[in-house]
Amino acid sequence: MDAIWASTEKWFFKINPSLKFATIASLFIVYLFVHNLNTMIWTAVLFAMLYFAVNGLAGKLAFGLLSLILVFSALSSTAMVFFGKGTHVLFDWYLVVISEESLARGILIGLRTFIFSILGLIMASTTEPVPFFYSLMQQLKVPVRYAYGCLAAFRMLPMMGEELVHIRQAMRVRGLLRKKGMRARYERLKRYTVTMLAQSIRRAQRTAVAMEAKRFSMSQSRTFYYEIGWSRYDLYFLVLIFAAAALGFFLAFWFPLTPYTDVLDQ
Amino acid sequence: MNERQNRKLHLTDILVTIVVALVFGLVFRLLGPVYDLFKIFGLQLDAFIYGIWFIAGPFAALLIRKPGAALLAETAAAMAEVLFGASGGIMSFYYGVLQGLFSELIFAAWRYRKFTISVAMLSGFAASIASFIVDLFYGYLTYLASWNFALSLIFRMLGGAIMAGALAYALVKALEKTGVTHLVRPVTKDDYDALK
Repeated sequence: MDAIWASTEKWFFKINPSLKFATIASLFIVYLFVHNLNTMIWTAVLFAMLYFAVNGLAGKLAFGLLSLILVFSALSSTAMVFFGKGTHVLFDWYLVVISEESLARGILIGLRTFIFSILGLIMASTTEPVPFFYSLMQQLKVPVRYAYGCLAAFRMLPMMGEELVHIRQAMRVRGLLRKKGMRARYERLKRYTVTMLAQSIRRAQRTAVAMEAKRFSMSQSRTFYYEIGWSRYDLYFLVLIFAAAALGFFLAFWFPLTPYTDVLDQ
Repeated sequence: MNERQNRKLHLTDILVTIVVALVFGLVFRLLGPVYDLFKIFGLQLDAFIYGIWFIAGPFAALLIRKPGAALLAETAAAMAEVLFGASGGIMSFYYGVLQGLFSELIFAAWRYRKFTISVAMLSGFAASIASFIVDLFYGYLTYLASWNFALSLIFRMLGGAIMAGALAYALVKALEKTGVTHLVRPVTKDDYDALK
């Protein structure tokens, strides 16, 4: 985990993780009901700028993740662009009918995916798992056994990844990766998952027994090694996010880039 | 131990459920490129494989056989996606919670006493409906050409039942042969009878 962070000193890391999560999660609801293409364009630009300003990732990784999101967002709009309903047809080829309306709606869906992904990335690139789960226990009162369960499980990920590589190598040596066809594909999937699952379940069970013996799941009168509290950065964060979201709506009103203020209008 | 206490999720159940969800996430990373390839055509073929994302819920319920396992599995998987900055970001969280909830409801409807392939398939089917509800708002599905909309609906539901339900059942059956399921399931009357 340590290799991916360039800096964990930026002020976004000092925001209360529960507050950050709750704010970003509620923005999802807001943008689910925005049908104005201009608002979405401006908001996407603003949040992308915010992401570059605050993320604590190494530069290359930050760009890499952004480009992944761009591809993913573009793909999520294809069905609507090619096969959406609409009357002003721009392009027609067998089943593919691209109309102005479907194009606008498709782009909006793509932008929506982009905004949600970039919001998720702002959260992911400025939050370390340990403070996050401690904050869930302390501020959101998530039961201790769930939070520690998550933390323990995340620590097992590198081991699981290593195991996956080993199984892959073992299968390659035995020539199993060369088989083609649906049947072989299904067998291979089953071999991977059953082996991985059996190993991981055994390991998880052993770890959990040890953790319970050490009273990790005790809930009454317990103390925490890390105390996650509140600070002035929480206020700055709320103001900044609110300003960015509001600016998106205002810019769409002042500088509308497209005529589509409601893509659901026929 | 009375039955009520036995049915609560303990740390063991929680850790096993979360780990199981993560294993699926890892294995399906391998499938990821295949999935994106299907998506390009826009023909909704991806909707069939889409079902594989719901598998953690029914699988965990079939494995742990306690209330809450399916919901926890899907929520943990979604949480991991958010924390690792996967594409889709914060929306994966909502999809995950809702899918887990719908999966869970099916097992709850049988009061966590029936863990057959048909219940598992229903559970996968329910998860696909949950994903559809979010998509209706999110992707304007009703504004697609009717044939495309129908295609996506049929593929998604078939995929949910087969990829998440039947496949989960097959995997749990395969896992039973390895013996690890004894570690995590609540003790049943049969187990006591076997001791006689």
